[in-house]
Amino acid sequence: VLAHQRGSEKLAERRVLFMGLPRSGKSSILSVVFENAHPYQVISILPTQERVVYHMVTGIEIYDFPGIDDYAENQFSNAVDPSVYSGDTTALVYVVDSQGDIQGSLVTLFSVMRVAQAVNEQLPIHIFIHKVDGLSEELKQDIQQDIQQRVLKNMGYENLNSTFVYFHRTTIFDESVREALSRVVQRLVPRYQNLENLLNSFCTKSGLDKVFLFDVGTKIYLSMDSSPTEPQLYTFSCQTIDAMVDMTLVLLSDITGATEDDDDMTMQRTVVGLDSNTKIFIYHINSYLALFCVGSAQLFRQKSLLEFNCTKIAKAIRQMLPT
Amino acid sequence: MGKSGAGKTSMRLLIFSNYTANDTRRLGATIDVEHSTVQFMGDLNLNIWDCGGQHKYLDNYLNEQKENIFGNVEVLIYVFDLETTNKDSEYMLYDECLHSLATYSRDAKVYCLVHKMDKIPDPEKKAQTVELYRQALAKRSDLFRPEVFGTSIWDQSLYHAWSQIVYKMVPNMATIEDHLNNFRRLADATEVALFERATFLVVCSASVDPSTALKKYMGVSQSIKTYRFTCGQLQLPFQSIEMRNKNYSLFIEPFTKSTYILVITTDPDIEPAVTKANINAARNHFVKLAD
Ligand SMILES: Nc1nc2c(ncn2[C@@H]2O[C@H](COP(=O)(O)OP(=O)(O)OP(=O)(O)O)[C@@H](O)[C@H]2O)c(=O)[nH]1
Ligand SMILES: Nc1nc2c(ncn2[C@@H]2O[C@H](COP(=O)(O)OP(=O)(O)O)[C@@H](O)[C@H]2O)c(=O)[nH]1
Ligand SMILES: [Mg+2]
Repeated sequence: VLAHQRGSEKLAERRVLFMGLPRSGKSSILSVVFENAHPYQVISILPTQERVVYHMVTGIEIYDFPGIDDYAENQFSNAVDPSVYSGDTTALVYVVDSQGDIQGSLVTLFSVMRVAQAVNEQLPIHIFIHKVDGLSEELKQDIQQDIQQRVLKNMGYENLNSTFVYFHRTTIFDESVREALSRVVQRLVPRYQNLENLLNSFCTKSGLDKVFLFDVGTKIYLSMDSSPTEPQLYTFSCQTIDAMVDMTLVLLSDITGATEDDDDMTMQRTVVGLDSNTKIFIYHINSYLALFCVGSAQLFRQKSLLEFNCTKIAKAIRQMLPT
Repeated sequence: MGKSGAGKTSMRLLIFSNYTANDTRRLGATIDVEHSTVQFMGDLNLNIWDCGGQHKYLDNYLNEQKENIFGNVEVLIYVFDLETTNKDSEYMLYDECLHSLATYSRDAKVYCLVHKMDKIPDPEKKAQTVELYRQALAKRSDLFRPEVFGTSIWDQSLYHAWSQIVYKMVPNMATIEDHLNNFRRLADATEVALFERATFLVVCSASVDPSTALKKYMGVSQSIKTYRFTCGQLQLPFQSIEMRNKNYSLFIEPFTKSTYILVITTDPDIEPAVTKANINAARNHFVKLAD
């Protein structure tokens, strides 16, 4: 999934750039999400020396930049070629260690912003307020508010455009970092608007409560219908996918004819019954994408109808998203 | 029973409470004896005594408290930390415990768990280590003939050992197993297993190929146990799973009052609806038998 890169190599068109001070947690985030590293394993992760790239489905590439030490002095343009920020399918993630040097981190962020917006005024800038584990709810909110205010105020002074700045609280010890990344990549997915419309109509026509389109390997959702989402639902979806994948791996491990990279997961359908009212339907549309549907038990009396609808949607998605 | 830090409390909390392996890093040494009662298979009450392993407590168990600790014991589970630096003193302690056990509970069953096997990565070395313990222990405890298992909280080995231990404690298990085998044949299933509701331990199973089956059930049981806990925290009690892919169909459903059933079919001609109907048909029969 990952490869080291020289600074001069050309970047892909659909791209997410990860930047921030050294030790802010960029590489940890990416190895937890893309390499399935356990959060406890990354404690001894080494500093990133060269740019690293992670490949996502649908042609999106995630670039982990070496930590920026003193950009301002180093004449920032020497470190990073400003053209990386160009293009309307580019997003920047800037990781701030909420338990570290926030002031220093923001100073660097501002110099990155200046360069970036000179090249691309509409560049989405996602600020990950990271390592919020172990902080009280109150403190988390205070820190976020403080960072938010400082960033917006400074952007005002410098006449920068703050329309496309987003804030996310993250930690690798829960699913917050995957959720934030989902929000980042959603808009980079090819034909994202059509995809969302498709899921909206699927959701209403089938009478479902919620539909996600998941990249099963990373548990990043590429799209979801636009109905309101209950706060815990995303985390719960991730845990459900984990449990089902674990189980499948155990069971496939000794079935003759089953191979690892083969499409064993393709065509897998799973129904999970929760309380007497709620069911979950997971429908794999190819070996890495799955529809995750939440609905009432009532709906599942006509499961074949739901399955039929899934078949149609799956076909449309396979055509929309290059593999 | 076992020395301090051997992993007794960790394994108890993993099996009988919803601890994960990571949660156990926070545990402190157990003070004296921690008593807990677990309802198992409906009406079986397991009284679990987790005996803190620090010297002062051990001395006390083997002297003043002797009868209290070793009287009325049905099962003694002795946990060896395989990283122990002083094996001789470990064995001496073990001998003393068995000596007291022989005095007060001659009919007890003894299990020895060689624990923290994750510290040995090589599978061959793992097997060798357990074998060495097995030989050494066989020479000592002639009265009790202990069964020896290698275990670790970081993989399924712990579930495996505990499933074997509780299996022998449930009365009429052999009969239930017979009937489960019948059911498997009648339903044309590849695998059938019963999970105990509270712990999700595998209490009974029937399989076309028993050699690899148990390992699989352990894996499934562990995934479901973790998942069920998650569901419970969100007030969405877990009920059932039905999974179908090109290799198999799988069902996990509440079965009798104290069990869940797992059924796996690999013949693509068997309709899932038929398997479900079969499970429902068998339920009443097993309710009478098991509960
Ligand atoms: N590597 C590894 N560590 C384990 C395992 N089981 C337990 N531990 C660790 O060993 C430490 C001690 O575990 P406890 O369960 O508190 O030990 P104990 O036997 O109850 O100790 P006392 O209560 O003092 O008798 C904990 O930090 C556990 O995380 C295992 O299988 N592998
Ligand atoms: N407490 C906590 N520590 C984290 C988190 N994410 C990363 N870390 C730690 O932060 C340190 C630096 O991480 P690293 O990924 O090397 O930072 P990078 O230089 O930005 O790539 C490591 O020791 C990680 O274990 C988090 O969410 N919470
Ligand atoms: Mg203890």
